[in-house]
Amino acid sequence: MYRYDEFDAQLVAERTKQFRGQVERRLAGRLSEAEFRPLRLMNGLYLQLHAYMLRVAIPYGTLNSEQMRMLAHLAEKYDRGYGHITTRQNIQYNWPKLPDVPDMLDDLASVQMHAIQTSGNCIRNVTCDPYAGATAEEIEDPRPLAELLRQWSTLHPEFSFLPRKFKIAVTAAEKDRALIKAHDIGIQVVKNEAGEVGYKIIVGGGLGRTPIIGQTLREFLPKDELLPYLTAALRVYNRYGRRDNKYKARIKILVQETGIEAFTNQVEDEYEIIDVSDIAVSEAELERISSYFASPDFEDLKDDPSELTSAIADNRAFSLWAKNNVAAHKASGYSIVNISLKPLDLAPGDITAEQMRVVADLADKYSFGELRTTHQQNLVLPHVKQADLPALFAQLQAAKLASDNINLITDIICCPGMDFCALATARSIPISQAIAERFADPERQRTIGEMQIKISGCINACGHHHVGHIGILGLEKAGVEFYQVKLGGDSSEHAEIGKVTGPGFSESELIDGIENMVDLYLKQREEGERFLDTYRRIGIEPFKEVLYA
Amino acid sequence: MSTLKHKGKGPQAMTANELQDGFSVWLDPSLNWTRIFADALRTEDEDLMEKMQDKADADEQNNIVVGTYFIDIEPDTGLPVRYREKFRVKGPSYDTADLLESQ
Ligand code: SF4
Repeated sequence: MYRYDEFDAQLVAERTKQFRGQVERRLAGRLSEAEFRPLRLMNGLYLQLHAYMLRVAIPYGTLNSEQMRMLAHLAEKYDRGYGHITTRQNIQYNWPKLPDVPDMLDDLASVQMHAIQTSGNCIRNVTCDPYAGATAEEIEDPRPLAELLRQWSTLHPEFSFLPRKFKIAVTAAEKDRALIKAHDIGIQVVKNEAGEVGYKIIVGGGLGRTPIIGQTLREFLPKDELLPYLTAALRVYNRYGRRDNKYKARIKILVQETGIEAFTNQVEDEYEIIDVSDIAVSEAELERISSYFASPDFEDLKDDPSELTSAIADNRAFSLWAKNNVAAHKASGYSIVNISLKPLDLAPGDITAEQMRVVADLADKYSFGELRTTHQQNLVLPHVKQADLPALFAQLQAAKLASDNINLITDIICCPGMDFCALATARSIPISQAIAERFADPERQRTIGEMQIKISGCINACGHHHVGHIGILGLEKAGVEFYQVKLGGDSSEHAEIGKVTGPGFSESELIDGIENMVDLYLKQREEGERFLDTYRRIGIEPFKEVLYA
Repeated sequence: MSTLKHKGKGPQAMTANELQDGFSVWLDPSLNWTRIFADALRTEDEDLMEKMQDKADADEQNNIVVGTYFIDIEPDTGLPVRYREKFRVKGPSYDTADLLESQ
């Protein structure tokens, strides 16, 4: 796990102190709202539909048990007993009060956390494969890279006022769990033909009102060139990005308007004149960062110990959970455990303070104190001994955290929508709950298999609806909510933007329509096909027919 | 000529968010801020609206509320016209906090 160095600690302490002064001045009337608003946003504090909202950064979705306990403490002491995991691996509190926020930030700083760069036109919190450091699929642990980017981008003077916000995601596996093609810059750790490890750089992806799949900027970038090269890319964006129009200001529009070839040339030209030695990080520094992410001391264990195999044989609930929520680990005898935050009765991604504490204790007991958040709004215990899985499952069950629906139809990504968000055009949480209820039967969910439903409450697309196998966008006309459907989106390494089916639906029509499409898929599917595969094979028309029946 | 900033039609109410707690509030008939929309002043009287505007401006200046604006009200239901404003009145249709409080 990464630990703050002195620099970080000082920076966060100073920033918190500074914000405390700003809040005091605001409350005393020495700062107007117009003056204060940008300052609070720089510290992750939004004013939403009903109240303030504080967004806390979870750098690359990695946190330890102590940090999780602090998040629980914040939820209980300053909020209303819960938090919400976002699609950018952060956590949001929906009900903080302005005078309390400096104390919240102080508490966060005590466990090396903050809310900086969770808002504004800067480089936002870097996101990462939640299986990083645990999966055998990766070339190397991408977290040192994410940490390097965090350090480089934190309060970066040149890139603090970009044309628009800038999101970076990293992964080191071919299987993309970080949505790298839907980010301003996506970085994949790759090997070239000579076997050297470097980076593939994807640029210009994004969702929002203009969804675009990122394109390759560099097939292979040697490791030590990363920061100078990214500096060149950001400089080109900073110079030519459309500051005249907020809706055209993201790098994806620049890349599209310039063309990837011309854009690449601009970046390469800029790179030519950069003094690399000024920006590049030394091997020693990279090693220092990497050393913080050293693998835990895994025991020498065998896969499939008897504790696991007998529990699979004897306990059906456990066996179903293990089959669906548990993934292969790089160390034999260990597993990666996904904890679903999509039970029937909570909003997707919500977790109560009590559950946070349970999860923190379980992390200590079974996963070297480590936890991850995922962009799918779930949690991960990255390093669990297979022999401990039955005991872990029992404790998750007791905390109502044992839903066995990871990647199934009820594992829905859903933004807060009109229930909380000031920008929303319609609600999204009730839609996810109606779908979850309609498909509540676990057996039916398993029969349907992998299915990604993603819901956004407005065109900003925080709920990633463009890349859902079924994507749902909430809109409103004349005071009535309606929902537009997209089909065939894909958030994986084969990323694709879904196609709009046509006019929107009321909530009840929508749920019936989804059920009709699922039934059609079940009838039409061939051996081994997921919903998405059948859709790709037979096309959109048959699905539209039953959706609008 | 009216100095009112609103461009709405029909009855109006004045809304804002509390500076400290952030909650949605509306001006009531005594020109105090209430968190309960049912108690909100809804009027078509331009003179009264001038007073509402003045009070809103003053309270924004005095750091009691932020983001003041008039909202259109449906004459028959007394509810806000805009869907978003209806939601500010109702509060979240789903909030995990409510579930926790009911336990
Ligand atoms: S998609 Fe829209 S409604 Fe949903 S969280 Fe983002 S801005 Fe808010």
